[in-house]
Amino acid sequence: MPIIKANNLVKTYKDPKDSNKYLKAVDGISLSINAGEIYGILGPNGAGKTTTLEMLEGLKDIDDGTAFINSINVSINPYQVKQVIGVQLQANEYFDNMSLSELLNLFSALYSSSNDPMELLNKVNLGDKASAKANELSGGQKQRFSIACALVNNPLVLFLDEPTTGLDPQAKRSLWDLVLDLNKMGMTIVLTTHNMEEAQVLCQRIAIMDYGKIIAEDTPQNLILQHAPDKQREVISGNMEDVFIALTGHGLRD
Amino acid sequence: MFSKPQAYLTKVFIQIFLRNKQYIIFSLILPLLILGIVGLNDGDADPIDIGLVNNSESNLSQEFIEQLTSNNIFNVIQDSEDKLRTDLINGDLMVVLIIPRAMNIEIDNLNIKLLVDKSQTQFIQTIEPILNQSLLSIERKITGNTPMFKLVVEDVKSRTLSYIDFLLPGIMAFMLMNLSIAGSGFNVVEFRRRGILKRLFVTPIKPIDFVISIVIARMVIVLGQLSIIFSFALFILDANVVGNIFNLYFVIVLGILMFLTLGFSLGSLAKTQESVGVLATIFIYPQLVLSGVFFPLESLPIFIQPFAEILPLTLVADAMRSIANDGLQLVDIYSNFIGIAFWIVIGMLVSTKLFIWKEVAG
Repeated sequence: MPIIKANNLVKTYKDPKDSNKYLKAVDGISLSINAGEIYGILGPNGAGKTTTLEMLEGLKDIDDGTAFINSINVSINPYQVKQVIGVQLQANEYFDNMSLSELLNLFSALYSSSNDPMELLNKVNLGDKASAKANELSGGQKQRFSIACALVNNPLVLFLDEPTTGLDPQAKRSLWDLVLDLNKMGMTIVLTTHNMEEAQVLCQRIAIMDYGKIIAEDTPQNLILQHAPDKQREVISGNMEDVFIALTGHGLRD
Repeated sequence: MFSKPQAYLTKVFIQIFLRNKQYIIFSLILPLLILGIVGLNDGDADPIDIGLVNNSESNLSQEFIEQLTSNNIFNVIQDSEDKLRTDLINGDLMVVLIIPRAMNIEIDNLNIKLLVDKSQTQFIQTIEPILNQSLLSIERKITGNTPMFKLVVEDVKSRTLSYIDFLLPGIMAFMLMNLSIAGSGFNVVEFRRRGILKRLFVTPIKPIDFVISIVIARMVIVLGQLSIIFSFALFILDANVVGNIFNLYFVIVLGILMFLTLGFSLGSLAKTQESVGVLATIFIYPQLVLSGVFFPLESLPIFIQPFAEILPLTLVADAMRSIANDGLQLVDIYSNFIGIAFWIVIGMLVSTKLFIWKEVAG
């Protein structure tokens, strides 16, 4: 039974260069993600990964198609969906002059619930930073804190948008451990990433997106077998990066 | 009626404000300074410096000089013509009077020469009648004529109103506008730019929850700031309020509500912190001149007056002044309330139609 089910999602924007033209940021995406899975969405910049997540999260209107999370229709009941999901956004800024535990209390209150901030901070290894301010944290600590914020409502599904971008190797590994721990406790996790190693290590299934469409979807292993071109016979040395380049080409996207 | 998320968010907004000590101090300095300067002034105008060259040695000229010196309006400086001319050109003096050598009772139609700097035309227009009046009364005294007319000035409001009493409601209205605009428009644009607004709307709160919380928080904050200014004026500067203070606060609360919604509109129109700054300047400065806070509305060109009368700041300042200075009741100023309600509706329409909710909250 999939916990996330999306059918032909479409998001259209006006072309900033020509107001008569429309661009499809997301062009007919269908997803079926099982409870307890770690699902990765890979893709070059501008492929539509974040827009897809934000439609599922109820942050952006769905122009066409349907999305259900835990059998709740996202377009019809976005506020109910928000109750059962946790979201970590790419931008992680918080109110100034407030400590981590105060911010966690605030986010709990916004769900009309209460949660022990210390327990959440310990979970993400920030127990000693309870009275620190968010802007005093390092990059890795900030990402872990934003996961703590996403956990205040004990969500069924956790969305992570490029959680390890800009982190050093240690911080990256510690975040992977955290994601795996949360998954072990039964949480469904959907993440976007540019990091192939991350996708390979964490995700049970991966969708590769380009120009608003899913161009491949499978387990990392099968993707490597099918797409890593010159290395098909030596599976061990082929990796997700080869798959990614083979599918999306070598051209720069930024 | 007040949900837990709303109450908590309100508390947080107030908390954030109270922790920003620098902002609190800076927001109070200017109004306190303006009131302080006005309040500590005794209210009398400074005497006008005028130069006097006495070329005559007659008794008449002596008497004229004595009369002139005893007048409080003038501070008479006697010196040589050359010296005083230089002072006039340098701008140290406004006018120089030259008494001719032949100042004598026997000569009719005596001309007393007045040296002026024509760039000060406006000032001279005001001072000339006073000088003429002085000359006339001196003449009457000397010739022993009694004047036919006398002007008795009677204040129909018949109570003492000092300049600070006049200025206080206006300054409070002006401050109320600045603080409300800064608290809504600027805050929202900043929250949006930094992605804080988006983070809030990841949770199941609705845009209306956010608006209610920030409006209530800002209301409490601005009321606190205004009360500090008000107490300073009442207790330290001895300002007088004729009308009912609760009525005054009723107008203040409505005024804050109006400027908060207008501030949200500015924040909705502007995409960046820079452009909200420019928009706020366009909104605030014309009102500073046109609202009658510092200059009376009657001094404005006729064609602009009807426009000036419906400006948000004019409506609030006028209502506050009517209560504080004239002791009017709320029913007497109902037209101001209609105007304020009109602006609140405009503010709500613009901010809900244009607001970034669609961008950040789906």
